Amino acid sequence: MISQVFILSSKGDHLIYKDFRGEADKDAVSVFFEMVTALSGDQPPVVMSHKDLNFIHVRQGGLYWVASTKTNASPFTVIEFLNRLAALTKDYCGSLCEKSVRMNFALIYELLDEMVDYGYIQTTSTDILKNFIQTEAVTSKPFSLFDLSNVGLFGAETQQSKVAPSTAATRPIMSHRSEQGGKNEIFVDVVERLSVVIGSNGVLMKADVEGEIRVKCYLPTCSEMRIGLNEEFSIGRSQLRGYGTAVRVDECSFHQAVKLDEFDTYRILKVCPSQGEQTLMQYQLSDELPCAPPFRLFPTVEKDYGSRYTDCDLLSQELSSPDQTAELQLKNKAILWSIPRFPGGAQLSALFKVEVPSLSSASLLEVGPVSMSFELPKQTCTGLQIRFLRLSPTQPGMSQRWVRYVTHSDSYTIRI
Amino acid sequence: MSANSLAYSEQSGAEAAVELGQETTPTSSAGGAAFGLFSTDFKKNEDLKEMLESTKESLKLEAMKRVVGLIARGKNASELFPAVVKNVASKNIELKKLVYVYLVRYAEEQQDLALLSISTFQRALKDPNQLIRASALRVLSSIRVPIIVPIMMLAIKEAATDLSPYVRKTAAHAIQKLYSLDPDQKEHLVEVIEKLLKDKSTLVAGSVVMAFEEVCPERIDLIHKNYRKLCNLLMDVEEWGQVVIINMLTRYARTQFVSPWRQDGVFEENSEKAFYDSDEEKKEGAAQTKPYVMDPDHRLLLRNTKPLLQSRNTAVVMSVAQLYWHLAPKHEVSVVTKSLVRLLRSHREVQYVVLQNIATMSIQRKGMFEPFMKSFYVRSTDATHIKTLKLEILTNLANEANISTILREFQTYVKSQDKAFAAATIQAIGRCATNISEITDACLNGLVLLLSNRDETVVAESVVVIKKLLQTQPSQHSDIIKHMAKLRVPVPMARASILWLIGEYCEHVPRIAPDVLRKMAKTFTSEEDIVKLQTVNLAAKLYLTNSKQTKLLTQYILNLGKYDQNYDIRDRTRFIRQLIVPNEKSGALSKYARRILLAPKPAPVLQSAFKDRDRFQLGTLSHTLNSKATGYLELSDWPDVAPDQSVRNVEVVEAVRINTRSDCYYRRDEDHSEEKRLCSHSYLVFCSRSDEGQKNGRLEKSGSGSGSASASSEESSSAESSSESGSDSDSGTDQKRNTKPKPIKKVRDVIHVVHCFCLSRLFPVQVSSPVFVPVRPHELLHRMTGKGLAAQYHFPRQPCIYGDHMVSVQLTFNNHGDHALEDIHISEKTSTGQSIHCFRPIGESGSAAVLGRTCSKTERFSVSIQPAVGELLLPVTMTEQDFSREQGKLVGMNESSATITMAPETVSSQPVSKKVVSVANVGVVPSGQDNVHRFAAKLVSSGTLVLVCVVQKDSSAQLTVNTERTVVGSMLLRELQTALSSAP
Repeated sequence: MISQVFILSSKGDHLIYKDFRGEADKDAVSVFFEMVTALSGDQPPVVMSHKDLNFIHVRQGGLYWVASTKTNASPFTVIEFLNRLAALTKDYCGSLCEKSVRMNFALIYELLDEMVDYGYIQTTSTDILKNFIQTEAVTSKPFSLFDLSNVGLFGAETQQSKVAPSTAATRPIMSHRSEQGGKNEIFVDVVERLSVVIGSNGVLMKADVEGEIRVKCYLPTCSEMRIGLNEEFSIGRSQLRGYGTAVRVDECSFHQAVKLDEFDTYRILKVCPSQGEQTLMQYQLSDELPCAPPFRLFPTVEKDYGSRYTDCDLLSQELSSPDQTAELQLKNKAILWSIPRFPGGAQLSALFKVEVPSLSSASLLEVGPVSMSFELPKQTCTGLQIRFLRLSPTQPGMSQRWVRYVTHSDSYTIRI
Repeated sequence: MSANSLAYSEQSGAEAAVELGQETTPTSSAGGAAFGLFSTDFKKNEDLKEMLESTKESLKLEAMKRVVGLIARGKNASELFPAVVKNVASKNIELKKLVYVYLVRYAEEQQDLALLSISTFQRALKDPNQLIRASALRVLSSIRVPIIVPIMMLAIKEAATDLSPYVRKTAAHAIQKLYSLDPDQKEHLVEVIEKLLKDKSTLVAGSVVMAFEEVCPERIDLIHKNYRKLCNLLMDVEEWGQVVIINMLTRYARTQFVSPWRQDGVFEENSEKAFYDSDEEKKEGAAQTKPYVMDPDHRLLLRNTKPLLQSRNTAVVMSVAQLYWHLAPKHEVSVVTKSLVRLLRSHREVQYVVLQNIATMSIQRKGMFEPFMKSFYVRSTDATHIKTLKLEILTNLANEANISTILREFQTYVKSQDKAFAAATIQAIGRCATNISEITDACLNGLVLLLSNRDETVVAESVVVIKKLLQTQPSQHSDIIKHMAKLRVPVPMARASILWLIGEYCEHVPRIAPDVLRKMAKTFTSEEDIVKLQTVNLAAKLYLTNSKQTKLLTQYILNLGKYDQNYDIRDRTRFIRQLIVPNEKSGALSKYARRILLAPKPAPVLQSAFKDRDRFQLGTLSHTLNSKATGYLELSDWPDVAPDQSVRNVEVVEAVRINTRSDCYYRRDEDHSEEKRLCSHSYLVFCSRSDEGQKNGRLEKSGSGSGSASASSEESSSAESSSESGSDSDSGTDQKRNTKPKPIKKVRDVIHVVHCFCLSRLFPVQVSSPVFVPVRPHELLHRMTGKGLAAQYHFPRQPCIYGDHMVSVQLTFNNHGDHALEDIHISEKTSTGQSIHCFRPIGESGSAAVLGRTCSKTERFSVSIQPAVGELLLPVTMTEQDFSREQGKLVGMNESSATITMAPETVSSQPVSKKVVSVANVGVVPSGQDNVHRFAAKLVSSGTLVLVCVVQKDSSAQLTVNTERTVVGSMLLRELQTALSSAP
């Protein structure tokens, strides 16, 4: 059972501290922080113990979310609870960062009070908690150039008014203030994570796509939402129907609230989303990408014994367009290539040559795999798309619906 | 999730602008918000008291909000206690709640003042609003003032019988709080727990088990009666409760059921034997092993937890996984694999703990995770500790078949930038090489190549691993030792290892070893301590084997060591000198010097670090820490003999009450998918009920009141009918068919109704549970004749819920038509002296939207239920001796027998008993002989014993039925005859 819960900033400031059972010392917080910082390595172990007190922590939003326990609690329960706590904090406070936690002390304290009683987790469901939580979230409305740019010259509508900024989805779910009260918005994200291993001969050795459809809902009243996916969406091999550009995934799992009665025939997900963020559907595809991997790298290693260089350096770069930039970051051992514009149907290429001094022939063995990390907006590797997003009954007034697609690299490795 | 850093548009650069904008906003910067508020509070803290004492609700509320804000930040607000406590009686719920928060925080410090509020709570406990009742109890129990223990006790007891499940749940939570305040109350609290365990609400179930686990985990006997209920409720308990219940049930099951594993082992052994050996041996083996029949309750637990593997709560998934690991037969455990692998896509903290558990599991059961080997490939983005765990698992999974794939993966890992990980990979390679002898050479060569790596950790690790590998087979690898002797490695540990290797195997490299010693002598003074120690060792070993060449060198090194700064080295030098250099004083030991220094050393066993973790229950903190955490409860070993199963039987009245409350009859039945659907449906209904109860506490009262009323009325009616049938029990075949009315609402297509044959005269022989046979439905009404309504019946062979002395018949109605059917009932009692109770009309059936256009009350169909004689029996357990004795009494007229030719497939023992059991509801009598099968049962109507005996002789068999009732005997004989002689 949980003895204490506390939230620390990355610098070790106490943001929230709550003791549930009064069995642990108050200095546990500082003990924990010492332990976390004393450890070398990129990430400290999830479970640490000091005397008979055990700390379990997760890191989210740059904060340490820590629970301590004296008994033999299931670590999964505690980790899951901390993750839920972080998610709920995000839902209620808007965004998850030191500042928002600082400003919403009272709200988080109240949340904790309702979620945990004497160290026992009672509920973490937004729908239930909504009835109990009285405190209102405090948000700072950031000044944004972006808001200004939404209004074109002389009030004309610009193209940008058709898009919402990324921060649009980071406001608290429960705001009664009039300025935001009218905004009935719903955000749908299709996020895919790509892990790919390409062999030294350019052959795709392993390709996995993990995707999910996330919904962040601000609609105060629960109305039914229908999300239409591609009609040719199929699960598993058996469902492939004839020719055509089928969108195939291997496995698919849904949130328990999703009703699937129209899924089999029309590929429509029906759901009454509760306020806050939730993952409606998770899917994965392994080993068979419907399209070519988005990035290709052709590595060659040459031995040049007459080296003139003493330091690792980017020898030459050839970029296909002048507005792109590339730089070598020695600290991260990485090359950063930024592409400001990428028109559809285009292909971009770049050639980089890096000189590494004092590489003996034996140590050529050490040249490890190259890994790439990227973020591709408006693109899904499986081809999954949302055909429509309908709310029924149609909300009076402005209910805005937003959809976005992102593909991340999870682990994109090219072996040499 | 970094997805949020991306705009919902092309303009992903906007983020930066927004960030900038935030920074430039002066009023809302971090410090400004928190401390700005606080600094203004400083002034206003004075007026907080006034605000709290004002008459305006809004002012009070405002003040309380600020006070709670102070608490949240850890500021002291205790001086406001008197002013706050006054508001505890406020009518405003919002204000009240804030006061409660304050009270819980400060009550322990200000006990006297806190007592002022107690009476308010006592009043609030009687409030009509369940939320207020619950929160009053919660706060009252959180006030840690010893004086109010009796009040708390009383409040908990009262709340435990509250009509609102939410209040009862709170009462369950209060139990452990009171227990920690005053452990002397345990006895009373256990009583409350016992009462709450009986509760049918899903809300309460989780909480009361939490209390049970903290207060009295040793009172496993409290669970017996609630076991089946908990299993069935499990799906609908909220997720945190599920975790606790599953863990508790795991412990429970380990004490109550016999192990499904031992039998498995025997079974496997047998099949292997059958494969290799002759048939005689096979028969012998079959005779030795009693077939393992899993307790139906054990099966129930496994079956009901399985769907939870799909839960989105990782804690639930893991607890089900550990349940399967600890309880399921070995061949069923693999169902959890996929779910565990799915958890690997979760947060990295979850990944870490899941991988730890998989590592432990993969040591014992390689096959379970082998198909998912790819999931454990290391990704470039993984953190180091996750990478090492994955390595561990891959190493555990390695076998002759997949080793080449795994080694290829390892080759890339060695090149990783993360050197700690590369070093761990080398260790993993070493472990694979020792485990799988075919690849030892390949691994060694690969490792030798790594010795020229630039990174010293990699080199050091390689040397250490090579050393361990060479120890297992040094003779073939003198060239590797030579190669290593030539190496000049910068890492001290690696150099020390090389020196040790050369010393240990100096006989394999007789020419190089002295030279190495010479070189080391040159640099001795500037070496690290660990290298010096090994140099001394090498010198000593060479002195013993090759003293001609190395005598002077050794003395030189020993002299250097004598004046070393480190006392370890001085000690070692002195010891070695006394040991190897013969002089007058130390004759005794130097004789043995050779045997001491050059003793053959056992090769190190490279084994997993997770080897010993399986002593802890999976998924617990103790397992993660690899040490016992406080409050860890050991899983007991399986009992040798299963404790009495009947302790879990629930009385009839209880079952009926479940019925009426869930508005739908639900029975536990093996693998009956329709029933499962029905069951989930019934819970839906049930849940919505309890929600209603939450909203309106009073309303629920009438509901449950009527529920219990109908239960009791049914009870009395069944009692009545049984007494009635008791009177005409002598007339034997006269059975009274008693049809129970069941109110059924809104069930889509399937309706189950139970008929009961009332039996008389309890038989003294112990009735055993029926052997499970597949359901054989019989047609009662075809859908064509029934104009859309189809009915089937079968004999579920379950003990009748109305009493042990009845047999149940299950009717299944299907509405194939497109109209709703209403008011289905049996209108007339029919034929052959059997009377039928009238149905109470069944509410409606079919699509609930279209209400009764055609009523089945307008249609009449005559139907008949024809029970096979075998279904009118109840299985009985008896020993072989009892059987023969009873059989001896029933000879002559009472015996009917026949010889039958059996189909060849039926010859072995299993099919015979299966066939007999499928025809008649009889119990198997354990038999000592392989070719004799005995079955016993009693007749339901009169309780007369029916004994069946099958004696097999090659392909023919002698079938004997002994019973007082000759008609039944001959009918049964005929049915068995046809069943046994037909092919399976």
